[in-house]
Amino acid sequence: MSVLSIKDVSKIFPNGNVRAVDSFSLDVADGELVCLLGPSGSGKSTLLRMVGGFETPTSGVMTIDGEDITRLPPEKRPTGMVFQSHALWTHMNVFKNLAFGLKLRKVSPDEIKRRVEGVLELVGLGGYGTRGVGQLSGGQQQRVALARSLVLEPKILLLDEPFASLDQHLRERLREEVRDIQQRLKITTLFVTHGQDEALSMADRIVVMRDGRTEQIDRPDVVYREPQTPFVAGFIGTMNLVEGTVSNGIFSRAGYSTPLPVSDGPATLAIRPEALDLAAAEDGGQGKVHRVTDYGTHGLVDLDLRDNTRIKAMVSHPDLFKAGQGVTLKPRAIAAYRDNALIHRA
Amino acid sequence: MTMTTPDQIGSVTPARRRPYGLLLVATPVLLVLWLIIWPIISAIITTLWVPTPEGSAFSIETYRFFFSDGYSLSNLSITLWTTGVCAILLLVVCLPIALYLRFSNTKVAAYVQGLAIFPMFVPSIILSFAFIRVLGPNGTVDLLFNAVGLPKIRTPYLTPWGPVIGLVWDNIPLTVLILLSGLGNVSNQAIEAARDVGAGRFALLWHIILPRISNSILVAISFAVLGIFSAFTLPYILGPAAPEMMGPFMQRTFRDLYDPQTAITQAVITFGFCIVFGLFYVRSVAKNRAA
Repeated sequence: MSVLSIKDVSKIFPNGNVRAVDSFSLDVADGELVCLLGPSGSGKSTLLRMVGGFETPTSGVMTIDGEDITRLPPEKRPTGMVFQSHALWTHMNVFKNLAFGLKLRKVSPDEIKRRVEGVLELVGLGGYGTRGVGQLSGGQQQRVALARSLVLEPKILLLDEPFASLDQHLRERLREEVRDIQQRLKITTLFVTHGQDEALSMADRIVVMRDGRTEQIDRPDVVYREPQTPFVAGFIGTMNLVEGTVSNGIFSRAGYSTPLPVSDGPATLAIRPEALDLAAAEDGGQGKVHRVTDYGTHGLVDLDLRDNTRIKAMVSHPDLFKAGQGVTLKPRAIAAYRDNALIHRA
Repeated sequence: MTMTTPDQIGSVTPARRRPYGLLLVATPVLLVLWLIIWPIISAIITTLWVPTPEGSAFSIETYRFFFSDGYSLSNLSITLWTTGVCAILLLVVCLPIALYLRFSNTKVAAYVQGLAIFPMFVPSIILSFAFIRVLGPNGTVDLLFNAVGLPKIRTPYLTPWGPVIGLVWDNIPLTVLILLSGLGNVSNQAIEAARDVGAGRFALLWHIILPRISNSILVAISFAVLGIFSAFTLPYILGPAAPEMMGPFMQRTFRDLYDPQTAITQAVITFGFCIVFGLFYVRSVAKNRAA
């Protein structure tokens, strides 16, 4: 059963008439973690802020457990938001930061102490209650921000790029911890990120957004393996997108051709680097190796078609290739798009 | 080929140090010593070493006179009352303006800001005459009241409320600017986080905004109080003849009564009160630096 339901929500900002979110709909199930993924300006943060009550939709309806929350202010919503910049109150210590919301709800001091200490243990900050916020590291501050939301036991947890200001190592560790905590508490979570790694590793479902609209909503593995639009294909992971023409069931571009059983016309061929095999060619082949990069576990070959279209291929033995060498392309899996829609997958 | 060893480098660096920083501050420091610190010391000495037939002797007679003279005490009292009332009114008037300017994104906010800063460019003398023309006897308000058949107002001109209104108006720009700079340190996300955990408008103001700008409030009030306590023009033109604020009182004692010794004593006492508020300001700045 869906806890959060967003129906046909749009947001138009008055200045410049920008349509930040355009007819967006989504149902989030109980205990599910949904990632809103997209580039800057895709409307994902605006959407999250509308769910949190910090922006009012221009049109559409949002409900939590069937109750209409579209026009409710943030303080009346059963949501908890973790901000990108932590947004901790520096004039309060860690305990007071967490206790503030509970005090406003007139919870008894004993209960406040029990709940704050419990949630601090949960985020691995047991005994940090008396510390000043300024004495904590970036990672610890983000844990306090998470704890501050969790201590109020919200129905929906909203995370707005919470790891953006942290270094790579800390980011990876924290996203595992957040995912563990989310699964342990079974709390419904909406997570905004522009990092595909974060989305792929944490989400139950990913919503890929572009220009305020939904491009695709699916499980991470499906979004990665079966992107429905060339934008999703190009945005998630590395993808070779080759534009060409189809004639009599053959796709061709600058000397490269491959069977593509679709009607004649323009098409965009999508091939993952790991799904593209290369073979050395004696007669010049379909492309020429530009550079070979050895990453230890695998190699990455950059090659150019005859019109200098750059393509990447992942190889297990990079030492077999060298710059200037002619190669033949043998894709193991392809997808083709026309008019922003999938027309073939094999 | 010559080589520079690390030891040599180490020995060169200290020799290159020049007291440029000290030289830059030397002139203002010397001017402060000459024009401010020395006059203060000189004034205190003048009031404590009074002339006697035998020469001069240490005496606190001038201070004893001030604190036993009913008129002097009522002047001090009206000055403290005016300063206190102005400080409270400034906070009551300026805090909502500063909050509105900080959190409003409308075009109106820009006009309100312009209007709030406007008194800064109006000389006190013009402000005084504008006050008299508007709120004084037969002023604009009286004329408008008369036009609609209402009785005359009890004008605040030449009452203790005259200087209060003028001084509050005069101090609005600086107070708003200081409060606004303090509010600039309260991030939007800190406000949103508070609303997210359930804080309404009052809880936001009381628990999040005011604690974060307490230093700015202290600085704004210290600045206003320092200026108001020793103000001259507005109390002189708009205030009552008796009791009078310390500024006009000092001037009258010095010029009209030809009693510099008593005038200097009044100045030292005024300085004594001002320095207490000055210390609040210095403490606040030091606290900010430490933070």
